[in-house]
Amino acid sequence: MVVPSTMSDPETENLVKFCRTLREHGLVVTPSEVVVAVTTLRLIDSSDRAEVFLSLRSVLTSRVDDFPVFEELFETFWNQLPEKLVERESLSNPSSLVRHLPKRTTKGLAFYLENWSNSRGADTEPTKVPGASDIESGVEKDFTAFGNDELEQIAQLARRLVKRLARNPSRRWKPVRKGPRVNLRRSLRQSLKTGGELIELSYKQRKPKRTKLVVICDVSGSMDLYSRLLLQFIYGLQNSFAKVETFVFSTSLSRITGDLKNKTYQRALDRLSSKVRGWSGGTRIGASLVTFNAEWLQRIDKRTIVIILSDGWDTGEPEQLAEAMSQLRKRSGRLIWLNPLLGSSTYQPMTRGMQAALPFINVFAPAHDLASLRALEPHLVL
Amino acid sequence: MLEQQVYVTDAAIATALYLSMTLGKPLLVEGPAGVGKTEIAKALSNALGTKLIRLQCYEGLDATTALYEWNYPKQLLHIKLEESSPTSEAEKEAAIFSEAFLLKRPLLQAITEHERAPVLLIDEIDRSDEEFEAFLLEVLSDFQVTIPEIGTIKATHRPHVVLTSNRSRDLSDALRRRCLYHWIDYPSLEKELEIVRAKVPAMSETLSSKITLVMQAARAMSLSKVPGIAETLDWATALVALDAERLDRDLMKETMGCFLKDEADIGTFTSELEGGRLEMVDATATPQVE
Repeated sequence: MVVPSTMSDPETENLVKFCRTLREHGLVVTPSEVVVAVTTLRLIDSSDRAEVFLSLRSVLTSRVDDFPVFEELFETFWNQLPEKLVERESLSNPSSLVRHLPKRTTKGLAFYLENWSNSRGADTEPTKVPGASDIESGVEKDFTAFGNDELEQIAQLARRLVKRLARNPSRRWKPVRKGPRVNLRRSLRQSLKTGGELIELSYKQRKPKRTKLVVICDVSGSMDLYSRLLLQFIYGLQNSFAKVETFVFSTSLSRITGDLKNKTYQRALDRLSSKVRGWSGGTRIGASLVTFNAEWLQRIDKRTIVIILSDGWDTGEPEQLAEAMSQLRKRSGRLIWLNPLLGSSTYQPMTRGMQAALPFINVFAPAHDLASLRALEPHLVL
Repeated sequence: MLEQQVYVTDAAIATALYLSMTLGKPLLVEGPAGVGKTEIAKALSNALGTKLIRLQCYEGLDATTALYEWNYPKQLLHIKLEESSPTSEAEKEAAIFSEAFLLKRPLLQAITEHERAPVLLIDEIDRSDEEFEAFLLEVLSDFQVTIPEIGTIKATHRPHVVLTSNRSRDLSDALRRRCLYHWIDYPSLEKELEIVRAKVPAMSETLSSKITLVMQAARAMSLSKVPGIAETLDWATALVALDAERLDRDLMKETMGCFLKDEADIGTFTSELEGGRLEMVDATATPQVE
């Protein structure tokens, strides 16, 4: 691309500065965008505010979340953009505007950010645009600080993980009508009906690997802060057409696979709270896992990933837990323990229960924010 | 220009399209489902009088279905037919790897369009995999394709590219950077009314303003599938087909399946309706008649 010359003209200079400010505020504005922006200004009527605004917004933003920042900064940019225009309208002292630009900008943005975080703190914020990239803004946020409106992100993430799970190809082939490879054996076999002439080809592709998922979630009192969110995660997993079995426990274990297969999350929750006894009660991980093993262990094989969501505060005997964990480990393909407390840097898995369980765990990972759940993805490949 | 195509536009869309055409950059359009993202490309191709080539993305979409594929059965038949002819092997090989045996998929079609630049619509790019997105980047930056057996094919006319996304997955920054960006939101009352009147001219003015009011109210409820303009138009068409004169509760209940696509949503909506919270909108006609 050719960089338009006459870099000295104030319009271009201002535009470049504007782009730099945008970049400083986190927009993806690389030199090539700057070049396009400069070219754009020559294509349009640069004295028409609306036109400049819309054009530059098209060029310089790349997601709807960029819009508010852009609007804010555009204001300052426009106010000092065409000095000639300002003079033409005989406004006094245009240069003072330029000098004050950096200060105004930072103040404006700080104000904006402040408001933004306020509105986030409030539980429901209808003006927020729903969508995938909201995930980004919430990445570093601990789940305890999540509002109801952000629950959907978690479900979305869960669905993606399950999709990933279903996409792993196995070593086996299956015949398909249209596929990446020619199925030689079948094609030859079919050619017999045309007297050995190869006319119709048959294809094959890799079978998807049938990985099963078993999730056992702790809903005892100590997990209260997290279980609401983690349940949303499990709900997302459960409703993604994959083989997922879910259980919750606090003092005793209950299977909730069927209850989660419900149209809306709220309805699923209603059913759950009426069914599960001892919600937010004490924790008997060991005993619950023993129950699980007694009833469900035969369903678990080497193609099953078992995920336990718990903070490891067990009031039972650690020996019981260790025994149950060792059985689970032997049968399953992978044993993952997600502990929300692991997200804090000072946490040490010192509780007796956690100590007893640790030797049998394949993956010990945090589950306190979206990033930690997303980091789970590579572990879901067997 | 777009108005002629029965597409109710605004300055933002027009500017984005104008820039995309003059700068030769793809236009990425995002927004909720059913707000007319795909319609932009259709209107553009109609207005320019060019072909619309559509690539519908889905999970697992790969280069062979998007770009090109050899027509294997035809090649095999050709070999059979030529078996007894005296042509040399090299000639036979050249023959079966010529353009006549090439199945052009949308991307290659868009590049090899001879007459004038077509509009290439890459629909729901967020549904494809990351791998395909990377592949697409390559095609969109050079507009050329290399087929090993034939050579490099370069675009005779750069197609006008429109990409749409429902944001079911976050697109990569690399792709976003290469595109101009436009966001379409649910329309304002005035715009939606304008759209309904343009697309369903058979509907009476009072009825069309009523149904747009209902739709705007429906969007404010917490529904799991928020209805878009497409649903408004479906409903309007349905009401016209039923020769509806006015909008009362019974008619609402009978026809609300046009824009509510979820059982739970129907429940929510009905309770709002029964509770009379939509009274100002639709039931005004009921007490007066009969």
